[in-house]
This record gives sequence, C-alpha cells and structure tokens, in this order.
Amino acid sequence: MKKVLMLCLSAVLFLSACSSSDSDSSTSDAGADSNKVTIWAWDPNFNIAALNMAKEIYEKENPDVEIEIIENAQADIVQKLNTGLSSGTSKGLPSIVLIEDYRAQSFLQAYPDAFYEMSGAFNKDDFAEYKIAPTSVDGKQYGLPFDSGVTGLYVRTDYLKEAGYTLDDLQGLDWQQYIEIGKKVKEATGKDMITLDPNDLGLIRLMIQTAGSWYLEEDGVTPSLAGNEALKEAFEIYKGMMDANIVKPNSDWSQFVANFNNGDIASVPTGNWITPSVKAEASQSGKWAVAPIPKLSVEGAVNASNLGGSSWYVLNGDSAEQAADFLGKTFGSNKEFYQQLVTEIGAIGTYKPAAGGEAYGKEDEFFGGQKIISDFAGWTEEITGLNYGMHTYAIEDILIVEMQNYLNGKSIDDVLSDAQAQAEAQLK
Amino acid sequence: MVKLKRIAVYVFLTAAALVSVFPIVWMVVSATNQSVEVTKGRLIPGAYAAENFSNLIQTIDLVPALINSMKVSISTTVLSLLIASLAGYGFEIYKSRAKNIVFNILLLSMMIPFASLMVPLYRMFGSISQTIPAIGIDTLTSAVLPTVTTAFLIFFFRQSTKMFPKELVEAGRIDGLSEIGVFFRIYVPTMKTTYAAAAIITFMASWNNYLWPLVVLQSPEKMTIPLLISNLGSSYSPDYGIIMMAIVIATFPTALVFFLMQKYFVAGMMGSVK
Repeated sequence: MKKVLMLCLSAVLFLSACSSSDSDSSTSDAGADSNKVTIWAWDPNFNIAALNMAKEIYEKENPDVEIEIIENAQADIVQKLNTGLSSGTSKGLPSIVLIEDYRAQSFLQAYPDAFYEMSGAFNKDDFAEYKIAPTSVDGKQYGLPFDSGVTGLYVRTDYLKEAGYTLDDLQGLDWQQYIEIGKKVKEATGKDMITLDPNDLGLIRLMIQTAGSWYLEEDGVTPSLAGNEALKEAFEIYKGMMDANIVKPNSDWSQFVANFNNGDIASVPTGNWITPSVKAEASQSGKWAVAPIPKLSVEGAVNASNLGGSSWYVLNGDSAEQAADFLGKTFGSNKEFYQQLVTEIGAIGTYKPAAGGEAYGKEDEFFGGQKIISDFAGWTEEITGLNYGMHTYAIEDILIVEMQNYLNGKSIDDVLSDAQAQAEAQLK
Repeated sequence: MVKLKRIAVYVFLTAAALVSVFPIVWMVVSATNQSVEVTKGRLIPGAYAAENFSNLIQTIDLVPALINSMKVSISTTVLSLLIASLAGYGFEIYKSRAKNIVFNILLLSMMIPFASLMVPLYRMFGSISQTIPAIGIDTLTSAVLPTVTTAFLIFFFRQSTKMFPKELVEAGRIDGLSEIGVFFRIYVPTMKTTYAAAAIITFMASWNNYLWPLVVLQSPEKMTIPLLISNLGSSYSPDYGIIMMAIVIATFPTALVFFLMQKYFVAGMMGSVK
C-alpha cells in the first residue's frame, strides 16, 4: 500500500509539473492578442462545419488573423456564458458566441455591456425580417442572424396516398384540417399522424408563431397567456390531436427520431434542421415530401413559422472589432458562401440575397425531386417577426404542467389564467 | 417453506440485477451498432464497433482528453486523500473544545449546492489568473483545486478513525515518533481499507465531474472526457453509435479502479458503518 501511495504521489508531482508548464505557455499568448478570434458554437455537422468554411474563406484574405473554433454543447455554452458574464470576468470568454434566438434577449438584457454592437458590420435589411427582433435591443443590432428555423410539414407521401391524399391537398392547411387528415391516415394505414414529447411544447410555439403571437407581450417581459387567442387555439388543437388518437408519444430526442426513422408516423411538423435526421434512413428515399406548415385559424395567420434557429454575437474585448469584421465579411455579406453552406451542409441561412442562387434551386431525390431548399427559403420570408422576449423557457415550464391539467379535463380558460398568474408571480 | 422463500429471494435478486445491468448492456451493445439502429432500440450486438471507434477517433481528440481526465482525477484523489485523512484523523484524535463546532460548520457546508458557489469561485479564479496564470482559469490545476477535499470525505475519515485504536497512537509517541510520524507510519498503514474506499469514491466523482470543469476549462486541448461526450450529443442529428462508444471508453477506467480495489472498498465501507 505504501509503495502504491508513493507511486501515486510521485505520479502526481510529475503530472502537475508538466500540466502547469504547458498551461503557462498557452495562457500567456491568449491574453491581449487582438488578432485571435475564438468562437463557441455547437453541432459539428452544422454550425461548426459552417464556421470552418467561413474561417477558410476569411483566413485566405486575412492571413494574420487566427480563428479558433471551439465546440461546446448548447446547454454548456449557456452555462459557461452565464457563469462567465455574471462573475464579471472576461477571462476565458470567447470573441464570438452562437446563441439560440429564444434565449438571446435574456442575455442581451441581463448583460447589456457585454455585447458588441454590430450595426456597422452588416446590413440588417439583407436578412429575413423575423430574425431582427430577437437579435436587437432598442433598435441596436447586436446579433448577426444565422440559420433559419423555418418549419415545414414533413410527410410520408406513401401513407397519404393510401388514405387518398396527395401533396396538393396539404397546401394552405389549417391545424383542424390536419387533424382530419390524420384521422383518415390512421384509418387507412394504422399509423399515427404525429409524434409528440409531453415535455417539449415546440409544437405550441410553432403554432402560435403562425399567428404572430408569443408567450409574452411585445415588450418581451409581460406574460401574455390568459386571453391569448392563438395560444388558446393551439392548446385546443393539441388536445384535439390527443383525443383523435393520432399521436404517438415520445420521451426524448432519440425516440422522436426513431419514430419517423422506423416509419411509425405519417408526418413531422418541425424545423428544417431535421432534414439530415430524416434522410439518415436511406431506405425511405422518395417516400417523403415537405408541405407548408399548417396555420391557426385566427385572423392574419400564415402558413409559415419558425422553430429554433440561432445567431452570432460578438463579446466586447480586445478582438471584438476583428470578430465583427470576420462575421460581416462571411455570414454578413458573402452570397457565394451561402451557396456553399447549402450544398455542403444543408444549412439554410436567413440572408435574403442568397436565396436566388443556384444551390437553392436544386432538386432533392430523397424528397421525390422536390426543391426543398428553395421552398424553405420562400417560407422563411413569410414568417411573422416576433420579439421572443426574456422568458420563453421559463413560461414553457409552467405551460408544460398546465397542458397536462388541460388534457386531464381542466377548462382551457382556467388553465391559461392559472398559467398567467404563475408566470406573473414567478417573473416579477 | 424455507426453500420457497429462498426461491422468492433469488427471483427478486435476479430481477433487480437485470434492471441494474440492463443499461450497461444496452450501452455496450449500442456501441456496436449504427446510430439509426440504436434509436430503433436494437438489442443485438452489431458489426459497427470498429467503424464507430474510428469515427470517434476522427471526430474528437480522445487520447488527450483521457490524459487530461487522468491528470485531474489522480491529482484530485491523492490530494483529497491526504488532506481529508489528516483532517479526519485530527478531528478524532486531538482534543479541543472548538473541534465539534468547527466540524458541524464543515458538515453544514455539505448542504450548499455547488451551483451556487460557482459564480464566486469563477470570480476568484478570474482574479487569481491576473497574478498567477498557472493556476487560473483554463488550467487543469484550476479544475482540481476546488475539489481537492470535501466535507463528506473528512466526515468519512473521521467516522472510520473512531474505530482506530487510540492506544496505537500513544504507543507510537512513547516509542519516540513525532506526530506526523504517528500519522504516516501507524495510522495510514492500518487504515488502508478506508483509504481504498475513499480513493474509489473520489476517483469516480472526479472522473465524472462535469459542472466545474465545464465552466473553468475553455481550450479544447484541456477538456476532460465528460465535456467531450457532452459535445458529441450537441448535434441536431447526434450519432448515438459514436456516443455510446465514447461512453464505453470513458466508463472503462472507473470500472477498472473499482474492480482492482473492490475487496478493500467493501471492507472500508463496512468499517465506516460499524
């Protein structure tokens, strides 16, 4: 035992000696170097891949700038950014960070001095209008909009055909009609129409945005639940789906993906970022198509919505100007770059001039030759712009519980007014 | 009747064993399958182990992360054993009026969740970085320091020391050993089962530690294994085969440490309960 202890002890001394020596070298050069731009983002196949392409383009023209891309999970970035910013130490924070649009306002408003204003680095009118509200504060543009969370209704055309429908029948649907189709599909094929996770109300968010409504008032802080017509209808539709028995429940992401990879469901209404997961099951090639997302029946609703999506932010610091320049010259204005993004990684941006490019008009055999990219780009421009405000996920936690009460028989008006009261108490 | 009872017990134990073993089996089996098969819930070993492994090696820097995790876990384990056992020994052997108060305060600190200490800790390390960058933010040392000892470990050693015969200490003193000598020459060798149990607990906790290393380690080359695994799952379309392969590899060292020290571990845990 003694020998083992001695061995461990000497090992530690040795290891700590070498670990401190290598940390010396790296901390000294990371410090005040304004030519080094570090970036935090998630998803190696999507955001990181896009960054690597941008880096290649930018470094060719600016050989003296070093761009370091660091991959972290999204939840990890939120955690690290919150800790770093609230402790007031800029040490260790990156120059550029990717933030999901739903969370952006809470960062921008909680740490107003931490972010670099990007108004000068790119022209915001070049981007889809719906991305501007979440990425700016008081008319000042902080975020550079990146990927589109534009939604579509992914459908199995073979199942629909068995039930007597074609893709043409799915244009301009509202959610009530969607349920009716779902019932027919279930009758004809025995397959459920949709898969839902009771702990994720993404579908509700997607529905209310078709009507230009959100959990919060336009000021971004006042909860708008009781008396919110769009939200009320969305809840009723959700329950309608459950009652019609066309829902296959899932409890997490892997089950969600499995349900359509297995061919157990006939449609997936969600963001375009699901495309790679759908295409992962190569044996289903030719059996899928994408229709416009159904809308709510409240006035002014459109067949276009958004789910997720994120934007780039620059943090104040030595390399902020360099970082803004990098973003502006790649994601902010390079049309060719966006063509490359589509062909190589299937990322649909929100940069409007890019939509006319060649890559956007390409047919996709997996989707029966449909030009899905150009369809998505078209729907992106129709999305109603919203200020997602500060507390999207906090309110959603309340709604998840209330949704269960509603499904168990509580009346819709009570459900929403209770949720309103809880939200007001919690967010004071 | 007795036989029946025994059968019932074994049926129950078998069921319990199956339930606890299943996740591990599933993990190992999934590591040999393609992502699509994993999500479909396939439970038969597949032929993709080698492919998953080579994809894993290509996507992340596995070996440097393993080395980082090793450095952090071994340093944490050795330092915490040393500090916590000295403290536990001191609390039990030496007489002082204040010791119970101090000990109670120490125990109270177990109730503070780490998440609430994180921001002040980060701030501290931020300012340390200004003067001594070698132990500041983004160094492996900074991942080790806040965890080098825990109130629980001190408590664990104090409880175990209760059954350590005090006469041995006195005998040592009479024979001319210094206080430090008594500790290292008599206490440490006698308590090796306790040390083994504590080593396993600390090593596992440190190997799996996530929140603090996540916050304090920034550069990719300094990341530990749990951080890399978290990154693997960050994608919109994660590859579950690769993730499972990574988890299998990450689990291996803790399993190894546990099996090597298992017999001491059980003895040590029993000792602390007595």
